Amino acid sequence: MPQAAGIEVTRDADGTVRVGGEPACPAFTRAVLDVAGAVLTWPVLDEPAPPAAEIHDPERAQQWLWAVHGERVAAAVHDRAAGGPDGVRVAYGATALAGGAARLALGHWAARWWPASYADGIPALEPDVLGLELAALTHQCQQLFDTAFDDQPDDCVAELIEEHQAALDPLLQWWRATPGPTGTGRHLDGVLRLLDDAADSAGMDGPALRRLRSALDRRPPAGAPLDLGALFARPRDYALAAGGPPAAGGRVIARGSGNNDWLRYPPGLVDAAEDAVSWTARAVGARRRIEVEVVADAAAPVAGAPLVAEVRVNGGRAHRVPLARRDDLWTGLADLRLDADTDLDADRELERGLPAMPPRIEVGVLLPGFDPGTGAPGDAVHRDAVRALARQRLAAARPSPYDTHDIHDAYDSHSGPFLAEIAAAATEEDF
Amino acid sequence: MPSQSQPTGERRPRGMVIDRAWRELGPGLEPLSGPGGAPLTRTVKLILLPLVVRPALRPELAADFLDAGEAGRLGELIRECGARLEATARWFTLLKRTRRALGVVAGNPQDLYFQRCFEMATEHGAPAAGADAVARAVLEDIADAAGGRTVEALKDHLADTARRSRLDAELAAAWGDRRTAPAQDAVAGVALAAEVLEACGPPAPGKGAPAFTAMVEGGHGSLLGRALWARASGVWGRDDLPAHLGLTVHQVPPRPAVGRSASTATLSAPFDRTLFERLFTVLQSSAHREELPAVPELVRREAGRSCAPLGLYDESLRVAVVLGGRLAVGLDPLGGQDSGAGRAGLTAAHRAVNSRWQREASVLRARRMTVSPGPAPDPDGGVLDALAQDLRTPWAAYMRRLWVRLHGRDVRDAPLDDTASAWAVLDGVARSVMMDHRARVRSALRTLAAAPARASEASSA
Repeated sequence: MPQAAGIEVTRDADGTVRVGGEPACPAFTRAVLDVAGAVLTWPVLDEPAPPAAEIHDPERAQQWLWAVHGERVAAAVHDRAAGGPDGVRVAYGATALAGGAARLALGHWAARWWPASYADGIPALEPDVLGLELAALTHQCQQLFDTAFDDQPDDCVAELIEEHQAALDPLLQWWRATPGPTGTGRHLDGVLRLLDDAADSAGMDGPALRRLRSALDRRPPAGAPLDLGALFARPRDYALAAGGPPAAGGRVIARGSGNNDWLRYPPGLVDAAEDAVSWTARAVGARRRIEVEVVADAAAPVAGAPLVAEVRVNGGRAHRVPLARRDDLWTGLADLRLDADTDLDADRELERGLPAMPPRIEVGVLLPGFDPGTGAPGDAVHRDAVRALARQRLAAARPSPYDTHDIHDAYDSHSGPFLAEIAAAATEEDF
Repeated sequence: MPSQSQPTGERRPRGMVIDRAWRELGPGLEPLSGPGGAPLTRTVKLILLPLVVRPALRPELAADFLDAGEAGRLGELIRECGARLEATARWFTLLKRTRRALGVVAGNPQDLYFQRCFEMATEHGAPAAGADAVARAVLEDIADAAGGRTVEALKDHLADTARRSRLDAELAAAWGDRRTAPAQDAVAGVALAAEVLEACGPPAPGKGAPAFTAMVEGGHGSLLGRALWARASGVWGRDDLPAHLGLTVHQVPPRPAVGRSASTATLSAPFDRTLFERLFTVLQSSAHREELPAVPELVRREAGRSCAPLGLYDESLRVAVVLGGRLAVGLDPLGGQDSGAGRAGLTAAHRAVNSRWQREASVLRARRMTVSPGPAPDPDGGVLDALAQDLRTPWAAYMRRLWVRLHGRDVRDAPLDDTASAWAVLDGVARSVMMDHRARVRSALRTLAAAPARASEASSA
């Protein structure tokens, strides 16, 4: 953590006290955490720094401010809340809690925005492995949360353990097979002990938790090396590249790639590659048809997610084309209707098969009911930066004969790899 | 711990003073400490502050920042208690072990046992011979605290046919005795409510607002309740909203029935609930059941309550319904909707809650948990669109939540004393509605991601 740089503390008209400015970056590059009395934000693409804090209850926030931002900032927030002079820059100094909080926020970010893509060679993170590490980190950061109100959805150790406990036994197997003194061995040991302590504190019980407890009580010697790929493999329910598109027939008028805007659908449905959305327009007799193909996320459910493509011709009204899952693609086929009121000329040109000015076709993919609208035009640059971040993190997580993970203090460092990243990096070759 | 920035004057954050004093106590406190050695949040809130520091006796230690002398005193208090805290930790470990052995999983052990452990440490010192039996007795005692105030007991009580018909007759009589009031009486109360709400919110919620007391004394809560029975309209200054704000699905609240079953998933609107359903929600929330009257008394009083204005006895709680309604009609969770909210006139309370909603919306965007924010329904939106619809009519969820909370207070005889305590309830309900929304989005998205090969036809809908 950098030391003693200044950070601004201000107070809004509605009483909200802010530490640092709200980062101006797309939602998919922001790691956020709901803590006692405030929301903390870290831009994931920037260098590690203390989080921006939007404090709506300065009194409750005093419980962690001194430990995350340092006591000068805590005092400045106290003064601002009481109506003191505005806009003061204060030196900050952080303790271990700041690093843990940043890591926890980054983990929550990865669970939602990790750019898993077959085409880009970025493997997915196993959600249960990540979920359990998040539970461990939440427990480690318990000072951030208070018990007074039921309004901190991120104070959810018990829920995380409950939801992701399927990974407990595989993690134990991994732990048994990994020599204790290595970085990964210590990392696994730390996470599992935190989970045990967290479950015990929350009064949880169950067969997997009991197995965890008795295993931790006496550590066996490291067993035979383990195939992580087999341990965390998720069944694929389709064959890759199974045949071509359905025989739409006709003559191709135009084809192109669409816009893969991550903001418009939830995680786990669509491959995150920039060119995952493509379309082909054809003339079939007198009809004009458009066929949309969207590369599916490897973990996407076969059905149940009513994704649609949004097709817009010559800037006209957007039409929705329902997508259905076929092998590793979401596909949809529709008549290309050119709005009479938007561009008759283009329509006529198309009718005559005179593509002097081929129609401008824009295609996006979205989940109705979820879609908050399109992102900003410059988002593609940020998406590329997120892919670069993922690749860089996977490279750092890759197994090495020297097991370099111990150069990180795996829990306090913002940037140390998550177990799910280590597992993903180890299985990348199979991917 | 590295001292990073030098102290700011002599005043130090109380949390930091407690943290340092705690770490100096040394080993033996792990069961009460977090992974990094700091005291658990609940250790501070449930043991150190109320039982060791006791700011009620030492008001100078109640502040968030302490001067050197105060910090020294606080450190001293914690140091003096070192042995007792270590014994508390050992009792806690013993209680957790005993709990596991008995197969108890309900409730958070810290909430349930921390205070008792400190009491036992004070009384017995560290666990010694015979401690197992003591631990067992304490666990049984805590488990029994509900003292038969359970849904099961309610079910048994209302299974008696004769008792049911007696209650039914009581309800009929009480319902027949109601007096109604004209709508304009309620309108006057709503205008006063805006004054109270203007005094809510930061920086000093509830300071100098006699309007709340005036509303209680003027019986403005009862007037709203009586107006609802007379099918009032135009109460909230918006023609598009029913006077009851969704507290009933009927135009006028119907006479409550006795009822004999309930389930959380199918609860009707508050005014349409049976006696059984009203008490079911009270008995279900496990907190402080020991404070409730016994089941027969609970039922007897609920019969009268359900026929009282707004289904509540206490006037300050009824006034809170008026405040909540006035707040709810100006809520704007989707941002910039101007769905008549502007017309109704926004107060400081509205600004505070709406800015909280906007913060929540930005967190949900960053967590990829959005619902389409459009003003019109999306026919393809499925369950997510239903959640968006709730945001377009936020007053319905808000009033339901508020009524349940006020009803819970009424049953426990906990009136609201002033604007500040009313605001605490109103604000807390706004937070709960937000948390409900987030939980429902999460569960809808989880269902979607885990969907098996079914319902693919939904895409053509």
